[in-house]
Formats: sequence, structure tokens, C-alpha cells
Amino acid sequence: MLTINNLSKVYSGATVLDIKELFIGKGESFGLVGNNGAGKTTLFRLILDLIRPQTGYVLSKENNVSKSESWKYYTGSYLDRNFLIDFLTPEEYFEFNGRIHGMSAEDLKSFLSSMEDFFNEEVLGRKKFIRDLSKGNQQKIGVAAALMAEPEVIILDEPFNGLDPSSQIRLINMLNKLTKEKQTTMLISSHDLNHVTEVCNRIAILEKGIIVKDLKTSENTLRELQSYFSV
Amino acid sequence: MLFKIFLEQQWKENTRSSIWQRNLATNIFIGFFLLLMMGYLLMLGILIDPILRKIFPDDDPIIIFNGIIVYYLGFDVLVRYLMQSLPTFAIESYLHLPIRKRTMVHFVISKSVFHPLNFLPLLVFIPFALRSLAPAYSSLSTVAWVIAVIFLIFNNNFLATYLKRQLVSKPLITLLAGVVLIALAVIDHFGFIKLTAVSSAFFAALLKYPVLTALPVLLVLSSYSLNFFLLKSKLYPEEIIKRKSYHVQDIPRIKYLTSLGLTGDLVMLDMKLWWRHKRTRTMLYMFPIFILYGFMFYPMPQYHNEIGWLIFVGTFMTGGMTMNYLNYVFGYESNHFDGILTSRVDMDMYIKAKLSIGMLISTICFIITIPYLFFDLEILLINFVTYLFNLGFISYVLIYMATYNKKRMDLSKGSSFNYQGVGAANWLVLLPAFVLPILIYAPFGLMGYRYAGLAAIGFIGIIGLLTRKYWVKAIERNFYKRKYIMADGFREGG
Repeated sequence: MLTINNLSKVYSGATVLDIKELFIGKGESFGLVGNNGAGKTTLFRLILDLIRPQTGYVLSKENNVSKSESWKYYTGSYLDRNFLIDFLTPEEYFEFNGRIHGMSAEDLKSFLSSMEDFFNEEVLGRKKFIRDLSKGNQQKIGVAAALMAEPEVIILDEPFNGLDPSSQIRLINMLNKLTKEKQTTMLISSHDLNHVTEVCNRIAILEKGIIVKDLKTSENTLRELQSYFSV
Repeated sequence: MLFKIFLEQQWKENTRSSIWQRNLATNIFIGFFLLLMMGYLLMLGILIDPILRKIFPDDDPIIIFNGIIVYYLGFDVLVRYLMQSLPTFAIESYLHLPIRKRTMVHFVISKSVFHPLNFLPLLVFIPFALRSLAPAYSSLSTVAWVIAVIFLIFNNNFLATYLKRQLVSKPLITLLAGVVLIALAVIDHFGFIKLTAVSSAFFAALLKYPVLTALPVLLVLSSYSLNFFLLKSKLYPEEIIKRKSYHVQDIPRIKYLTSLGLTGDLVMLDMKLWWRHKRTRTMLYMFPIFILYGFMFYPMPQYHNEIGWLIFVGTFMTGGMTMNYLNYVFGYESNHFDGILTSRVDMDMYIKAKLSIGMLISTICFIITIPYLFFDLEILLINFVTYLFNLGFISYVLIYMATYNKKRMDLSKGSSFNYQGVGAANWLVLLPAFVLPILIYAPFGLMGYRYAGLAAIGFIGIIGLLTRKYWVKAIERNFYKRKYIMADGFREGG
């Protein structure tokens, strides 16, 4: 699904990301862990063609993401607040996205009702603009929008940030269901080692821009991660 | 001691505010403009004496000036009430610290003293005092007069902030003050009591008995106390800060727009963006100014032969709003630019949609200005060719140059004199927009072929429209080259 080759990004002389080779297959849920500044967001931005790589390229279904825009049609993503159109109400935002995805009013309705539990009555029908909602609810909106229209690839940066415990568990269940039923390819970063091991079947540790470990999730993975990060 | 720390932190907050983080060219422009304004005021202060002598040759300018002060003060309260924003102070970040509440209240109130409206008038009053009062009265009287005026201005400052604060909790008091002001104006207008006479009498007495300066001082003390007790009684953040919970206005879905598909959706999105941000909304309020601009020139026949000038007016009316839109078209979306780039929107569709919106605005402006033809049929012709030029030339240049702006725009702040997020490119592009049509016309006009000159402007516009495909491609190529740089800049400070 995604092929990364010799990808590097340099900011004012310092290499923040340097990945020689990485292949993420269809249906894989790929977790990315690492301390602050390890390059997780940089990698995601490169995959989403938001920044220009120094060297190398990212292929999505054999197409270079910086040359062709075809990846946009099957990739859902949410990295940070810059993705939200915050002067819209949540309803308007989902409607706008729905129309971009070519969803019918019916599709949109059934999508929103599938998110009902996740939103927990705090998002829809509040007559508020997104900018006036709490951080957690904004996060929910962004993550939910990334899941619209059944994308084949989902890219989420710290999706559990700011969510209350119940919402975190609901999100984990939703993501697991997508991997199982739809074979959705996922790239998820998180600081919470528990969450990543629960969602991802493959986990990579990024340190100073380099993938230092690439693990297939097993019973021992959590312990391995914990021992890696313990100081 | 604490005051000093507060002041320092406020200074930091202001100087580090995003409003200042703008381009050097912009800062120079604003600095120049401010100096110009201050120069005008100072000149008024120096020249007011001879001006008054000329208008009222039989009266003493001092008496006249003293009489006018009352009008100034009344007007000043009104302006302050409408324009001066309440001094805010993020009290929440201090409430939990061991700081006495009254210290904070004193600070919040006295902060408003630094408002420019408190100092700019002195550029008029002090030169007047030096030129007219000092020779006629003792220096003690002159100083007393100046002090009295300063305190009256400060009194206005505290009065206006008090009324503004009360508007939230007790709107009746504010209403009452408004009624009093109107009543005074009515009394004055019908001559029951001449306010000017009262004002002159007071200042004349003051010049005679400088002790009377105590009155304005007492006034300030009382208006300050009003503020103090008001704030002291409710120092809980939720009571002070008027939480702006905007009422969500439902913008009606326009059937026609929905039928246009993606372009229509983007138009809707832009309409919401413009309506729901303070900065863009103030720009919308300027729309009538653009349209009514013609009334400043068309009624006067002597302008009808100044074709160059009329071309400028035409460009301004049919293109001014479009310039405001296309010049910053990506900057307006800086808050969600990453979202746009990763969403399922074809970038060439996106650019075409933006261009179409710009052209649509121009078209609307042109249609509204058609009735100006009643002044002169030629005006319609001029506006039509400048409109074509806007469509077929200027709009391409604007959207092309818009990619060179990579500053995140803060749309939540008002727009008058807010040049945050405006870059040198935004200024430069206005030059060809206004100068080129006149330059194209000039050679024809000088040789006496005025219609040929106008036709040339329109011709370039039509050529531009016919070769649209080519220009859109060029704009797109440039956009793809610049988008990383733009997105990177927009992300900063986000």
C-alpha cells in the first residue's frame, strides 16, 4: 500500500527524519511510537504531501504522493487542528466533507449515527462552532472526519490525545473493527504504549528520525516497548 | 512593585501579539501613516487660533475654543464607547497567586490610561494653550487649564469604560447615559441652554481661578471609583469576561450553489468564513464604500474629462473587493490549509473555484455600479473596460501573487489597521492593478483617441479571458511549487 524509499527531511541543517526503506502492506495497522521530536509527525506530513522531502519519495499504491493526487481519494487523515475548518459547526463540517467525498444525505446520516456513541452527545446539535468546542471534542471531530467515506488508508497523529477514557476505548474498538472487517491500512502514532499495542499489529520505534525497531505485535511487545523507553 | 511586573507582562503580551508580526514594508507604511496623522493634529493645534479668527472675526478665539471643548468631550465619550475596547487582563492566570484583588482591579482600570485617544488630543490642546493662552494669562492659569483638559479627557476614558462594563450587567445605566447625552444635545440645539456658553463660562472661570482645576480632578476620582467598585464586586472571571458565545447563524443553503457541485460548496465555505470572522466581516461592511466611491467624483462635471482619474475610480469600484479577496485568498484559509491540502479536493478545481469567486465579486460590483450611467454614459463604458481588465488580467496576477504570502492570518481580530499576515507581495501587486490600466490608456489619451484608449484596456481584458486556460495552468504550476512553503508558514504560530 505504502512504500517509502530513502526518505529524509532536513530542517536548518539537522536531519529530523531518515528512513531508508519501509513498506506498509494492505490491511496492516502500523503503530509509530517515539519521544517528542522523534519525527513521527514529520513522517506523516511527508506521507500526506504536506512538506517536501529532501531526498526520497513516498509511493501510495505505486503513485508518488507528491506527483499525483490520487491518494487523496482513498486516504483519510487527521494530524492536528490545522485540519479542522473551525468556523463551521460540526454538522456543517461533516456535511462539507461528505459532499467532497460524494456522499449522499443518507450516507452522511448513517455515518453520523455510527459515530453517535463516540460523540457521546457532546458534538452534534450543540449549536456551537468547532472553535468554541473543547479540545477533546475537536479531536473527536477530526478523527471522525478522517474515517468518513470508508478510506483505504487512515493516518492519525496521537488520536487518543485529549479524549476521555470511554472515548479512548470506543476509538480503539472502532479502529480494530476497521482493520478486521474492512482491511483498512492504518498509520497511528501515540505516546500511550498500551493503546498502540491494542490497535496495531506492527509497531515501529522512531528515534531521532530513524526507525530503530520494527516489531510484529505479540504478547511480549508491550513489555519490550516499556523496557525500551524506561530510563 | 507588582504594578511594574504586571506592566512588563502586559508589554510582552502586546509586543508578542500576532498583530505586530508583519512585514517590514507594512510596518513602514503604518508608521508613516501614523506620523502623518499626528502631524495633521499638531498642525491643527498650531493653526487653530488663526483659523478661528478667520471664521469668527468678531469673537475672541479663546472663548470660541473653550466653548467647543464641550462638544469635543461629548463626541469623545461616544467614540470611546463605540470604539475603545475594554482593557482586558488575563486575570485568570493571576487569581490563584497570592496577589490582593484590589491590586489587580487597580491595574485593570489604570491600564486604559494608555489608550491613544487619551494622548492624541493633547497634540491639539497643548499648542493652543502655548500659543493663545500663555500670552494672555498667567502661566499658572495656563497650566491649570491644560491639567483640567487632561483630566476631563481621562474622565471620559473612565466614564466610557464604566458604561461599557455596565452594558453587560446593567444595560439600563448605559441607556440612561445615552438619554442624558441626547437630551443635552437637544437642549443645546433648541437653545434652551447653550452648552457652548456653559463650557466657555467654566473655562473662563478656571483661567481666572486656577483652583477650579480641582473639579475635573474630583470628576476623575469619582469615575475611577465607579469602575473600581464595579469590578471589585465581581472579580470572578465568568462575571467579568463576557464570554462571546456567538449565536450560530444558519446561513441558508442556496439551491443554485449546491447544484454547482464542488465549486458551489467552496463558495458556501467562503461565505461562512467571511461572515463568521471579525476581520473579514469588517471588510464586508466596507463593501458599500467601494460601491459608493463614485459619488465622490461623478456628481462633479469637472471630473468627467479626467479620464485617467475615472479609470482609477472604475478599477477601484469593480475590482476593489476582488482585490481584497484574491490577494489573500490562501491566507484566509491559513487556519485549515493542511486540511484543504489533504482533503479530496482537486487542487486545480480549488484554484479555479477561487478564481471564479473573485470574478463573480467583480461582476456583482460592476452590475451594481451600472446606474452611475445617469451621470454620464461614458462612465458605464469606462467601468465596463476596467471590469474586463479586472477579470482578464488583474485577477490572474492577484491569485498568482497570493501564493507568495506565507503568514498565518489571525481572522479573529478586527480589520481596521490590522495588517497582520500581510506581506510585501500583497502591497506590490496593487501597484500594477491600479497603474497599468491608466498607463495603457495614456498614450492614446495624449494623442486624443480616448475611445481607442478605453478599447485597448478592454481588449487586453478580453484576450486574458479567452486565454484563461493558459493562465490558470501557469497559476497552478506556481501553486504546486509554493504550496509547501505556504503550508509551512501557515503552520507556524498555529
